[in-house]
Amino acid sequence: MNFKIRAAKKEDCKDISRMIMELAVYVKMPDQVKISHEELQRDGFCQNPFFECLVAEIPEEHKSKEGFTVVGYALYFYTYSTWKGSTVYLEDLYVMSEFRGNGIGTGLLSKVAEVAKKKKQCVQLQLSVFDWNTPSRDFYAAKGAQDLTDTEGWHFIRFDGQNLDNLANEAPKD
Amino acid sequence: MDFSIRAANVEDCKDIARMITELAEYEKMADHVKVTQRDLEQDGFSKNPFFHGIMAEVPEQHKTKEGHTKIGYALYFYSYSSWKGRAVYMEDLYVMPEFRGKGIGKALMSKVAQLGLAAGCNQLNFTVLDWNKSSLDFYLSQGCFDVTANMGYHCMRCEGEALEHLAQP
Repeated sequence: MNFKIRAAKKEDCKDISRMIMELAVYVKMPDQVKISHEELQRDGFCQNPFFECLVAEIPEEHKSKEGFTVVGYALYFYTYSTWKGSTVYLEDLYVMSEFRGNGIGTGLLSKVAEVAKKKKQCVQLQLSVFDWNTPSRDFYAAKGAQDLTDTEGWHFIRFDGQNLDNLANEAPKD
Repeated sequence: MDFSIRAANVEDCKDIARMITELAEYEKMADHVKVTQRDLEQDGFSKNPFFHGIMAEVPEQHKTKEGHTKIGYALYFYSYSSWKGRAVYMEDLYVMPEFRGKGIGKALMSKVAQLGLAAGCNQLNFTVLDWNKSSLDFYLSQGCFDVTANMGYHCMRCEGEALEHLAQP
């Protein structure tokens, strides 16, 4: 199947938002999605964007039954490892189910790696995956990804909501 | 003990590099450190920095036997959650062993949280090694949530040849 990978434009945010929700449904957490296409537009297309995004597009004649031609996306941002240096973090990688198996996911992932290398000389690409998500774990393992939780014991930790507010309130006064 | 918390500047990179190595040794991964003082200067203090730093300093009279007054640091940068929006990621948090137990680590982390909230973030994220019980206990006592233990989230990495191969156009 013919497809094109390109940088997302502000106008793509409605499709990206739709697919963020589809991905959340796939990982069984649809109630966790709190932001809409408006936040994506504000945060991804401002002067110092919080993220970058690529979308996968297919020709009109292959559009989905609801009429979509934007059928996949990769959302990523640049981070830093004090051990290794410039790093890219792949926050989301998603292809609509009816378009899987055509190399679109690989196309998106490769493009993120290529862009990150060119733009920021990234030496690492990092992401997270749920332990039960075998198809995704297999996909990334086949591309040479190492599972740092399994091999080195890294745990991902988070502060949010009231706990984050409490922590911030205890900061020393300037 | 009296201590001060302030934003890092380019002159702090020598001490930050020193403490990055100390932290890596603590985590039993000293051979993983490839970043140098010069890298930190370029990557943290240029026009579009990759990270921001906070330093913890003690007065002269409390300096270490080697003469250091810069005795702790936190490095962080902004990230994004496609579900929740703006987030802040704390890459490193470290206090030299002789200065622990005095609230310095807590003060550094709180400062990162405060700056993150001011920037519109609603999550503070970081990682910790599963055997590092004292750090894990510290973080849990502050009210954090272990996303790996509770939700099965695994951290993955592609680097070296695997990344080169992936990046082929």
